Amino acid sequence: MIKPARYWRKEEWQIGLLTALGAAFLLLFCLLPFAYMLAVAWAENHDFLSPQVDFRWTFANFREIAVPELHVPAYLANSLGIAGATALGATVFAGLAAFALTRLRVKGGRGILLAALALSMFPPISIAGYLFRMMAELGWINTYPALILPYIAWILPLCLWFLAGFFQGIPRELDKAAWVDGCTPWQLLRHILLPLARPGLLSAALLAFIFAYNEFLFALLLTVDAHSRTLPVGIAMFQGLHGEVPWGSLMAASVLAVLPVVLLALVFQKQIVGGLTRGAVKG
Amino acid sequence: MRLKPSSGKLGWLFLLPLGFFILVFLLTPIVGTIQSSFYQDVAFLPKRFTGLSNYLVLFQDSAFRQAALFTLLFVGVSVPLECLIGLIFALVLQRSLPGKGMWRALVLIPWAIPATVSAKTFQLIFQYHDGLMNALLQGIGITNAPIHWLGGAPSAFFALVLADAWKTAPFAAILFLAGLASIPDDLHRQAKVDGAHFLRRFIHITLPLLKPVITVVLLFRIIDALRVFDLNYVLTGGGPGGATTSLSLLGYQRYLSGDFGLGAAVSVLLFLSAWLFTWLYLRQARSVEA
Repeated sequence: MIKPARYWRKEEWQIGLLTALGAAFLLLFCLLPFAYMLAVAWAENHDFLSPQVDFRWTFANFREIAVPELHVPAYLANSLGIAGATALGATVFAGLAAFALTRLRVKGGRGILLAALALSMFPPISIAGYLFRMMAELGWINTYPALILPYIAWILPLCLWFLAGFFQGIPRELDKAAWVDGCTPWQLLRHILLPLARPGLLSAALLAFIFAYNEFLFALLLTVDAHSRTLPVGIAMFQGLHGEVPWGSLMAASVLAVLPVVLLALVFQKQIVGGLTRGAVKG
Repeated sequence: MRLKPSSGKLGWLFLLPLGFFILVFLLTPIVGTIQSSFYQDVAFLPKRFTGLSNYLVLFQDSAFRQAALFTLLFVGVSVPLECLIGLIFALVLQRSLPGKGMWRALVLIPWAIPATVSAKTFQLIFQYHDGLMNALLQGIGITNAPIHWLGGAPSAFFALVLADAWKTAPFAAILFLAGLASIPDDLHRQAKVDGAHFLRRFIHITLPLLKPVITVVLLFRIIDALRVFDLNYVLTGGGPGGATTSLSLLGYQRYLSGDFGLGAAVSVLLFLSAWLFTWLYLRQARSVEA
């Protein structure tokens, strides 16, 4: 049955309206809490929504979190250091393993991949208590390795799952030629696959970084003070200098905390989306 | 064709770091936790084997039953809501909007920021006196008096679900977007030629073809929502009166109180339920790939 052009114009119009509504909903839903955080961070009084209180800009909240007693810069440095080390370690080890599973003859490779992924899906609480005792025995509580090593273990399978898929997508003709030319496996990886896999490695590193930067439970259990405490824990325990919840400086610290990941999301949007979809939907 | 017969053994060398990390920091702790759950393992007391008694204690503990019920409810309410919002986002993002990349980055941001930060922000939003939510509701005229959001169990539950949806609907949206992109345009075009309205096309083409991805997203979100911890710890502290204490939070509290065996038993039960969904997920992920 053929419908008249007017019918389709009407449909176009309806779809356009729905899209606009959806887009408005998306904007409001995603931005409103974020905008509120920003506003409170820059407000002289956090309760500026009350009718009696006016909104006045100030930079005081940011000056307050810069004082050494609150340790916010130290938390940020810990978070960046731990997340950076995790991203590096997880990407390198996942890359090596993905290479072995896709390019070298390893028996039961598929099984290894699935088992690793199944392990990483478990709730963190199921290993948290044991990890605490282990790190206490090693005397590692409140050090970087106490967080970096479990983080690498936790995110490795996901990075591996993603990178194995990425390596599989690189044409095999290349390595056949390399084998014929007498390359060692190491040379094949170093000179042929690595340059081609760079976008995939970047995605894996970004996912690992964001995971480690945001992780809370292990960081809560395994850190004691500003020596190794990360920013998510610092924010959860934020006390301020003067008693009652200091919403202004808390939101200023939050702005600081989200800054690195927001920058990453803005700059590497494509790579992160690619990593998420390949990591979760495909193998 | 493999010209390097020795490469099989060499492969294991490349797998060594992976094996080390998984063995030491995942497998050993999980096995150790399972073992502990069968012991009376309390701080300052000698450890002794007590079989299933930790589990029996848990099943009779009203705090455990409350936490299990809360966790189930939380999964049951938040996951479908997140998937629905995610699907709406994906349908919007799929249209060619001006500044396409910016929209995607915008959706990514709530997902990418630490959960404790979003939990604190939502705690402020749901403040009684000066929070955004009460100001909005009173501004629009839905309520006259402010609501004590975090003081009552149902409203605290709602606050948690909304905060969780804010953080995780973007993840669902990104996956749905990938799913939508894999639906061939031809199908829609053909159906349009046949005179099918866009709602009919959505119900009869988009949804059925998206079904495998929807299943994967649902399972992935269920596994993640089952272990919810950060949000409860920060936003409600598990309150009021333990009404929003999740199983992860309960396990943490048991560990903290020095009862390692009980904490381990909670962990094992949570782990078993996650395992069930992980198994389903892996089956589904494989069939999507195939």
